[in-house]
Amino acid sequence: MNGTRIDKRILLLLYILAFILLREWLIPVIELTDSGHLILFLLFVALAFFLALLRVKWWIVVPIKVLYVAWTTHYMFFDRILLSRETVTYLIENLFSNIPIIMVGDWEHITNPFRTVLFFSLLWMTCYLIRHWIEVRKSILLFYIMTVVFISFIDTFGPYSADAAIFRIMVTGLLLLGMLTISRLAEKHHTSISTGALLSISVPLLFTVVVSVAFANVLPKQEPIWPDPLPYFKSFVQGSGEGGGTGISTSGYDADDSTLGGSFVQDNTLVIEAKVAEKQYWKIETKNTYTSKGWEQISANKAQTTYDSGVEMGDFGNSDHANEESRLLADLQVSEDFPFIVYPYGMNKVYASQDVVFQHSEASGKYLTEIGGSEGILDSYEIEFTEPDYSLKALRATTMEDYSSETEDFNQYLQLPEQLPERVRGLAETISVDHESVYEKTKAIERYFGRNGFVYTQQGVAIPKADDDYVDQFLFDTKKGYCDNFSTSMVVMLRAIDIPARWVKGFAPGEYVLNDAGEQVYQITNNEAHSWVEAYMPGIGWMPFEPTIGFSNFTEIEYDIEQNNDELKAPETKEPKKQKKELEKKQATAKKEFEIGELFEAFGDWIRSNSWKIVAAGFILALIAWRLFVARAKWLPRVLIHTHKSGKYDWYAFTKQYKSLMKQLDRTGLKRKDGMTLSDYAMNVDKYFGGEQMITLTKAYEKGLYGGDIINHNWVALKEMWEDLINRTSG
Amino acid sequence: MTHREIVEKVLSNIEKVMIGKRDIAELSVTALLARGHVLLEDVPGVGKTMMVKALARSIGADFKRIQFTPDLLPSDVLGVSIYNPKEMEFEFRPGPIMGNIILADEINRTSPKTQSSLLEGMEESSVTIDGETMRIPQPFFVMATQNPIEYEGTYPLPEAQLDRFLFKLKMGYPSKAEEVEVLNRAERAVPMDDLETVISLDDLIDLQSAVTEVKVDETIKSYIVECASQTRENPYVYLGVSPRGSLALMKACQAYAMIKGRTYVTPDDVQYLSPFVFGHRMILRPEAKYEGISTSEIIERILVKVRVPVDKVRLK
Repeated sequence: MNGTRIDKRILLLLYILAFILLREWLIPVIELTDSGHLILFLLFVALAFFLALLRVKWWIVVPIKVLYVAWTTHYMFFDRILLSRETVTYLIENLFSNIPIIMVGDWEHITNPFRTVLFFSLLWMTCYLIRHWIEVRKSILLFYIMTVVFISFIDTFGPYSADAAIFRIMVTGLLLLGMLTISRLAEKHHTSISTGALLSISVPLLFTVVVSVAFANVLPKQEPIWPDPLPYFKSFVQGSGEGGGTGISTSGYDADDSTLGGSFVQDNTLVIEAKVAEKQYWKIETKNTYTSKGWEQISANKAQTTYDSGVEMGDFGNSDHANEESRLLADLQVSEDFPFIVYPYGMNKVYASQDVVFQHSEASGKYLTEIGGSEGILDSYEIEFTEPDYSLKALRATTMEDYSSETEDFNQYLQLPEQLPERVRGLAETISVDHESVYEKTKAIERYFGRNGFVYTQQGVAIPKADDDYVDQFLFDTKKGYCDNFSTSMVVMLRAIDIPARWVKGFAPGEYVLNDAGEQVYQITNNEAHSWVEAYMPGIGWMPFEPTIGFSNFTEIEYDIEQNNDELKAPETKEPKKQKKELEKKQATAKKEFEIGELFEAFGDWIRSNSWKIVAAGFILALIAWRLFVARAKWLPRVLIHTHKSGKYDWYAFTKQYKSLMKQLDRTGLKRKDGMTLSDYAMNVDKYFGGEQMITLTKAYEKGLYGGDIINHNWVALKEMWEDLINRTSG
Repeated sequence: MTHREIVEKVLSNIEKVMIGKRDIAELSVTALLARGHVLLEDVPGVGKTMMVKALARSIGADFKRIQFTPDLLPSDVLGVSIYNPKEMEFEFRPGPIMGNIILADEINRTSPKTQSSLLEGMEESSVTIDGETMRIPQPFFVMATQNPIEYEGTYPLPEAQLDRFLFKLKMGYPSKAEEVEVLNRAERAVPMDDLETVISLDDLIDLQSAVTEVKVDETIKSYIVECASQTRENPYVYLGVSPRGSLALMKACQAYAMIKGRTYVTPDDVQYLSPFVFGHRMILRPEAKYEGISTSEIIERILVKVRVPVDKVRLK
């Protein structure tokens, strides 16, 4: 037994290190649960380790610890050092009152003193486990990994900041691992370590650990490559989103677009329920100033028009077609607190039950709702509108020269930041140069995104750094993003070739479903928050465009020109009818014809967008597999017994069993060397397990193998012996 | 009575006078059963003669002893024809070799001429004197001894002749307790005189023929051959074990397996016996001697390296 004892000095060191590690668990737990009295819990741990170090007998240790727990619990709840009759009776009653509570599983109502006692028992067990790990297993890796995982978890998901803690954990944990390795080595070679040797090993170890951890601490660290999962879990648990923030956001409408980019997570909160005959894009506002990072609304035009409920508004340049018969009605129920209305293209009138005034900003197109003179929230209204339609003939007749005859000032819609890289402009020109009309140029740019390897994703979308341009980054580097990337890029490219364009925010049509009242409605959730493009067609007016792949153009175009086999025709006539419900979530490829290549592409996208999940799942699977493999000596015998159970038992079955037994013994560490005879090996095995089963089995095996006698054996006895022995190997 | 029981009787009989040398007794009986001979290399006075005598007495065999000296002639070993004036003809007086069990003491003290006369007899089981060939009576077992200390005036046996012996053994000193026991027994009487014959020579001949029936599996044969060939490939070895050595090991293993009550040879037999069989059949290079590596060490290394057959798969 001498060999298995660890040197006392090393043991002391090991327990100190383990204490520091366990302290790292206690600090956040006590802090986050507002329990207080950290020092009392730490004292308990110290006491447990100290008693373990002194090798005090268990019948002394148990009363000491029980007394300590009793006294501490008393002290915590009565704040008195001395016990008194009343308090003790109260405490005992309190503790016993928990028994029925536990029986019914009513965890909420467990009393605090009882919780404390439970926590102490947990600590007790943990200390015991750590003692086992240190003194018997001489391997603390599991505890160390658990500590790191726990602390990172608490740091990520809780308010606890583990910046210093993780440093302490790395140093103490690595030291602990190193010291345990040393003692394992000492045990292996049956030597005790002299003080000099101990120093000569542990000092370099300490040095290496501290230096490497310190070095790692000062090194620049890469930002997380996958989004912080916290908002996702939050929205998953709470069912509502919180917009804004840097880096990651949840989907939904947010007035601030000054910094675009970053991943966002799904938020399925219902925002609007729209009862309307056909799919509509629901517009909120437009923005005109691109800052290289995002959008802002900067306009000299502060003009506001005020409309009352039910008053003809007149909208969108081409309301020529807007006669009374073609008017449509949209009935909207808004559950989010919007101080504005969302409206379809071609809005004529808004009816609201309340006394409300709509403040229309001409620059941004936003209709703010005012109730009783101040900002108000309208939760239901009806909109009368005429779906605008456009003549293809007229659209194709538009030329760049026509802009000069327009009276409107387009400067704000041609604005571009000075640092916009030249290649964006170059690209826009390359795309549009072959087309004559303004409309076709615009369409060419809109189409560009669908054909050049752009990917729709909400995960892992880049945020431009200080020197980067949001559009440039998307067009040339990342090529993956969501609506903001596509729409902004299109606006910028249009402006680059002098077509006035602006950025529109609102909601996509949503999902056509039966609502609770049994009506067919479009349900628009925060996921439907969308952005698209409006470009000014000379002589026609502002016209919406949809560059985002996976979304389809909704504009009605009248094919009033001769049908020559024009490739433009196909996508534009069919698409409005082919609109799919859940385009927001799908890749563009899903809607196209399925070709093998695209399937692969979609699969690749899926891999890319879920890469960290796949890696994590793979890692966990590998961990489980590794664990099973390492522990196979434990579980394999049961499998072996089972597999060898059936069938005739003869020499061949016995041979198989014997060989599997040798393999199993090999796994348990009793390896037969090449030059070792079976009987020598059997002697070793029996010396290890006691008994003579292996020798008997081996004699039978040798008799068959070398003696050629494969008949005269007592198979029943051999089989029993084999089962007994193989069971013992796993014990 | 099984073979094992017969052998056991002989061994326990020998043990009555030989204290604590069961392994040597066992090996000697092994050699006897395998129709081989033994070379004992040891200092005088550790019980070599006692051993052979006890063995001879136990099997009721004719025991002869030849003390080799430098002036011993071949005729002193083989026998001589003497003219008998009464009968008016030459009469053959057989030498000491014409016995069943022969102790050839200090064989390295005599001239090679005399040595070879003995060795030839051992090999052929017959002697030729004056053109007349005579069979040596069976069983025939020679135990030669050799003093490893004195080299002055000795004629060491050439290696080629050493392989006439199946085993080369070292007796070694008894332990202190055993030695005390030796004194205890000798205090009262000469123990040898009380020793009985426990089996007949015919029994022994039966045993000898039964040895050939002990099964040696193909895998074991391959194992023996592999061990032997490893001695030839070893860098420290100048001359490795010959095929005759492999054959000798196999026969020894058969006999040993029978002593152990088995009807088949196991690798344990091979491992146990190979140092005694191979030890004197190898010549080491000078490097090995400089490095202090002995033949037994080399054999040990080879045994650790060569894969023991534990399966029906043939060795390559």
